[in-house]
Amino acid sequence: MRHQTGSRGCLMAELTVLSYRCGKSILHQLDVRTKLISLILISYTVLRADPLELAALTSILILMMINSRMPVKSSLKAFRYFFLLLLLVFSARAFSTPGSILIDLNVIKVSKQGIYDGGLVCWRLLLVILFSMSFVSTTRPSEIKAAVEWFLIPFPFIPAKRIAVMMSLIMRFIPVVFGQVKDTADAQRARCIENRKNPVYRLIKLLIPVIRRTFEDADDLVLAMEARCFSENRTDPMLLSSRKDWTFLFVVICLCIIIII
Amino acid sequence: MNIIEIKNLSHSFLDGTLGIDGINLSIKKGELIVIGGQNGSGKTTFLKHLNGLLLPTEGTVLIKGVEVSRNIKKVRQMVGMVFQNADSQIVGETVFADVAFGPENLCLDRPEIGKRVSSALKSVGLTKYAEKRPHLLSGGEKRRLSIAGILAMKPEIIVFDEPFSSLDYPGVMQVLEQIISLHQSGHTIIITTHDIEKIVAHADRLLIMHNGKVKKDGMPDKILKETEVFGVRAPCATRLGVEVASWLN
Repeated sequence: MRHQTGSRGCLMAELTVLSYRCGKSILHQLDVRTKLISLILISYTVLRADPLELAALTSILILMMINSRMPVKSSLKAFRYFFLLLLLVFSARAFSTPGSILIDLNVIKVSKQGIYDGGLVCWRLLLVILFSMSFVSTTRPSEIKAAVEWFLIPFPFIPAKRIAVMMSLIMRFIPVVFGQVKDTADAQRARCIENRKNPVYRLIKLLIPVIRRTFEDADDLVLAMEARCFSENRTDPMLLSSRKDWTFLFVVICLCIIIII
Repeated sequence: MNIIEIKNLSHSFLDGTLGIDGINLSIKKGELIVIGGQNGSGKTTFLKHLNGLLLPTEGTVLIKGVEVSRNIKKVRQMVGMVFQNADSQIVGETVFADVAFGPENLCLDRPEIGKRVSSALKSVGLTKYAEKRPHLLSGGEKRRLSIAGILAMKPEIIVFDEPFSSLDYPGVMQVLEQIISLHQSGHTIIITTHDIEKIVAHADRLLIMHNGKVKKDGMPDKILKETEVFGVRAPCATRLGVEVASWLN
């Protein structure tokens, strides 16, 4: 089912790319364990892939995003700060990798090899992030919790339930924190923070209230959870794998082997 | 029969502030009680003692004869709490998942959880939104979702902390209808509010809190004229000397 995001939708509604969205796509129907294993395999493969293979993986990713009806525009908007990080990584690579010089500004030299390497690293990082986003937006945090617990059960001395609960709460809180950042930034823009040109001053003024509100909201959430008898021992979602999961996993494994070899 | 017995209840916070001070109270099964008081009068602190979110510094709270501090899980199942900020209570990714959170914590099996969630959603009129993201609901719907989350745990007592705050008129009406319906179905209801006008016509009993103490306790029509001494605005009807009418009429 697709959700309405009308005028009534609050800030949280804008953050659907970073949190679970209901749907009936292939990814939605797969068992969370299949998706988690596939994500790990694909992420590893992406880091080993050359440009042609990255192009193939990008095509697969785009098809998956279309199939699961992920909003491309808001996805790009949600990752706008990540693009700054990519730009930083790209610049560092471009300036520091030796090779045939393309631009020479005395102090700064940009090499052809640097641009190629920087572009490749950024492409890989972007793919890993987008594959992870596809996973997060098609999987309920409660299912992720159940899967983490399922994977950790064979390991003795690891508190599987506690780790799983912590992970699911982190997933739950990512959109909340983003919401607070946006609220606080809006409130500060309304009071002309943009007139202050010092980025450190602006960052401090943003971070302090965001951190304070995050802790307050976490406190409220803990109270609400406690009031509803929360404990680590609770009924988890049923994890059921079908033929579809095995087929999907087989295809992913084959794809990864082909690319790595 | 008294469903709640509170004896000499006091609570001090870590900084030494006295939140509530020597409260003695008995609440009968099926009563609808409104607790009025200005901000900081101790209403929320008092409510939190009813399902063990806070434990007394002094005194005891008994729910159906069970001391809260001795069996918190059982008490939390008996006393459902609807918080002031509905957003902070949302833990599920969908309306269905949010309502299922409580029954899952009670370790019920999946078919029973499904039954309870469906029944709770039906009783608050949110069945058609089962697969919707909770954050996309309106204020009144979110408050009803909080109520559904509590109902799925089948409590006998439901406490509401400022249930009408931040709601528009239709939202207030939705929540008010829901509260009256829960009262009529036999639940014991306790509501804190600084705006008593919206609910007091339906109250069996009105309590006024001030500085952590219960200053007035009795039938609403006997107390309403004195509420403003304690910073609680009296309903317009009381000021005009007529009987307070329900907002639902």
